[in-house]
Amino acid sequence: MDSSNDEALDIIITNVVATFRTRCHLNLRTIALEGTNVIYKPEVGKVLMKLRKPKITASIWSSGKIICTGATSEDDAKLGARRLARVLQKLGFKVRFSAFKVVNVLAVCSMPFAIHLIDFTKNNRPIASYEPELHPAATYRIKHLKATIQVFSTGSITVTGPNVQNVATAVEQVYPLLFEVQKPLKKKEKS
Amino acid sequence: MSSRVCRTCGGSDIDVDQARGSAVCTSCGSVLEDNIIVSEVQFVEGSGGVSSAVGQFVSADGPVKAPLLGSGFHTSVGKESRAQTLQGGKRQIQQLGSQLQLNQHCLDTAFNFFKMVVSKHLTRGRKTEHVIAACLYLVCRTEGTPHMLLDLSDLLQVNVYILGKTFLLLARELCINAPAIDPCLYIPRFAHMLEFGVKTHEVSMTALRLVQRMKRDWMHTGRRPSGLCGAALLVAARMHKFRRTVKDVISVVKVCQTTLRKRLTEFEDTPTSQLTIDEFMKVDLEQECDPPSFIAAQHKAKMQQLEQELARKLDDVEGEISCYKDEIETELEKSRPKLRGIYAAYAKEIDPEEAEVLSSTSDPEEQEVEDDELQAATQHLTQDFLCQVIQEEEGRGKKTDDNEVEAGPDMEGAGSQRQAAPLAAILGKLPSAASLGLQQTLDESETGEKPDDEQSEGGELDLDGIDDQEIDKYILNEKEVQVKTELWMKQNADYLKEQKEKEERIKKEKEQGTYKEKPKKSKKKKEQIQASTAGEAIERMLEKKKISSKINYDVLRDLNRGGTGSGGGSSPSRASSDPPNTNTTARKRLNRRRRKKANDTNRDLAANASIMGKRVRLLISSTSKRKKTAVQGGCWTLLTMPATPALSIMSSSLSSVLLSATVTSESSFMPTTEPARLISLSSLEVSFLDMLPPPPAHHSVEEDAGNHRLIKHPEQFAADVERPQSPKEVQPALCLFRTGGWCVLTSAVYYPATARGICMIAQPPPQLPLAELVAVLVWTSQTQ
Repeated sequence: MDSSNDEALDIIITNVVATFRTRCHLNLRTIALEGTNVIYKPEVGKVLMKLRKPKITASIWSSGKIICTGATSEDDAKLGARRLARVLQKLGFKVRFSAFKVVNVLAVCSMPFAIHLIDFTKNNRPIASYEPELHPAATYRIKHLKATIQVFSTGSITVTGPNVQNVATAVEQVYPLLFEVQKPLKKKEKS
Repeated sequence: MSSRVCRTCGGSDIDVDQARGSAVCTSCGSVLEDNIIVSEVQFVEGSGGVSSAVGQFVSADGPVKAPLLGSGFHTSVGKESRAQTLQGGKRQIQQLGSQLQLNQHCLDTAFNFFKMVVSKHLTRGRKTEHVIAACLYLVCRTEGTPHMLLDLSDLLQVNVYILGKTFLLLARELCINAPAIDPCLYIPRFAHMLEFGVKTHEVSMTALRLVQRMKRDWMHTGRRPSGLCGAALLVAARMHKFRRTVKDVISVVKVCQTTLRKRLTEFEDTPTSQLTIDEFMKVDLEQECDPPSFIAAQHKAKMQQLEQELARKLDDVEGEISCYKDEIETELEKSRPKLRGIYAAYAKEIDPEEAEVLSSTSDPEEQEVEDDELQAATQHLTQDFLCQVIQEEEGRGKKTDDNEVEAGPDMEGAGSQRQAAPLAAILGKLPSAASLGLQQTLDESETGEKPDDEQSEGGELDLDGIDDQEIDKYILNEKEVQVKTELWMKQNADYLKEQKEKEERIKKEKEQGTYKEKPKKSKKKKEQIQASTAGEAIERMLEKKKISSKINYDVLRDLNRGGTGSGGGSSPSRASSDPPNTNTTARKRLNRRRRKKANDTNRDLAANASIMGKRVRLLISSTSKRKKTAVQGGCWTLLTMPATPALSIMSSSLSSVLLSATVTSESSFMPTTEPARLISLSSLEVSFLDMLPPPPAHHSVEEDAGNHRLIKHPEQFAADVERPQSPKEVQPALCLFRTGGWCVLTSAVYYPATARGICMIAQPPPQLPLAELVAVLVWTSQTQ
């Protein structure tokens, strides 16, 4: 996958956010009182339900819109969403599972070298921006992939995008740029 | 001056004299231009012999102050608001900038940025304060001044990150590449604030060197520059024997103690820290360090590796231990007593039978057969046993016991063997089940998408892979629900109270009839003003909108209240229009329609009496498209306005006028007009009529053609109010059309922007037989 490297880079997906609709009005109070692992927030108007397997937190609105976060893969997200819909079905609502869409995927990846952020920003203006007063990472946005990459000086990067494929492509795209501005490693005896 | 060719002789040598303002051909002497517009500064002598230049200073903010001649009303209103925004922005920039001690050049640049931002509509949805702060910070970054975003946020009392967000967005949209912050920039500023007195410069120099060293040691990437500066200054101060505590430095540099300490420890870890002061000033180590966070991460990785190794070793050790365990157990088993002698014989005897039994029981599904055979076997065995017992009754008491004992374990052995077989079979089944399960999931994943696609459209829930039992765990049973309900009610008592009160309130209001639904997102709908008189309409419109400061609202109001001045002012203009109108042919007369029935016509009509008098009004049909229905030869463009309040008279006069005109041959009457539908003319229309624009020719004559401002003269005002953007556009149109059996008198009066509330436009009919019109009018006069 990575062109100029012997080892493969591990892209670890840490979070997948997905939404779906139940096409029916949900009574939040019923869900709050009859479900386990729920937090009811009447001021905001939503219920948070946490599933154990897969580990997912869902925000449920009374309109029937549900957002699932915390999954580690797209399939997991779908499974969790379906489980959740099943729970709601059992509680007595006429749930229909529709409009499932993965909205955001967050992945982390670690480069085996350190990165010189200022040079990186200089080479890639205006796509990259670095503001040390605000955030220790440089932000690199790829418009056509709709992906955002945050590059830290230690070599680890976090990538967010609309789906896993985009995230992988984004990492591939940015790798050569990072390779250019890598900091040559000097092994030190004392850590 | 354009070098032109002389018309008469063709010579190109033209002399332009600025003083006389003329262009003359030098070859033939013909004058090409006279009265050239000269753009030279002229001087005028004022009182006391003072000469001053002629002219006005125009503000650099744009052509705002000067009134625009010749452009549309709308654009001038728009520019005003834009100018206001820019002015306000400039003021705020000056204010903030002076607090930051920025020079004028920076402030001007900031204002330019602001102008760009406004033109790109990036100020929408953002506080002007934030935008201005971002513009100023942008300038600071491009100029390289030692101002931090923190300073700006201090001044404005706004969160730094919010400002930062705005700043980043602006920088991106305006494509301005702000150079990266160099901590060296801040050192002189902080050093000055720390009050080192005479030695400030030296301390700054030392601190600068330190910072540069830190940079090379990779301590500065991803860190706030102020933190580095703080650490460097602290060390530099100590090096020059100044006692600056951590607290002093923190208050100046605005980082927290922990950060400072961390920087110092990191610096301590670098090899540079081992040098003495003198050495440091002289020598610069070539070796570079890895960034501290990288080192920390590596450290972590190492620790993890160690742990893994440890775990592996433990596993190995455990493996060995378990090996030993197994060996011991096998030994123990071996040492257990085995069947010997007769028992062995029995064991052998039973073997073929058992073998049969076993073979038959290898099939797990035939459990029943197995049972039968088991029973048979047992019977057989017991029979044998009994036989033997009988045989050995006499002397072999022991053996019976032994046999029993033997039979027991044999039975057990047989049983266990038999059980082992089905167990094995069962166990054998399990892996296959697992493989089946896997296949299921595989199939699921393959075909998962397809049924899901179909189902997602249908909305059905795909239940594959969902274990219902597990799901049930997510739902509480009744008792738990009760408990939870109680708890929740107690917890949220306040919130529930509020909700109840709110509901009660809404109920009460509903009963009273004063219930207003909370406007969720009220879309701005321009309400059509409904009024019974023109005056009312105008007043309501005025209340709603104060459109411009240049309108003389009083005159607007006075228009209908018997303003003879206005009437008189407009009347002479009208009078002039009348003669030309009478000569025009093919003008259709259209009647008006109102939304409401006129209730109080008398008042206004009386008021209008003087205005109206015996003036002849001209009603012009609007666009040429819908023209020329069978009206031929109709010169009945004049309509006498009645002075008396009765509408019937008015309509009768209308009808009389109509009848006087030549009409086409058709004389079919309108059969089905119903009274309710016919809306009588009212004073509103009368006053509308008043405001009707005269024919275009009229306006071109007037000098205020092109001037849309209501300068405070009634005549001009009146002209302006009627007037649309261009004289030809607005035409009042009274049209008569038929809608499904009704004959409706409609009026279409298009008003210019000033009197928006009163405008309505109606669709004229495609074909309008004049006779019908006549008939209707006659009818109305009869009914009213």
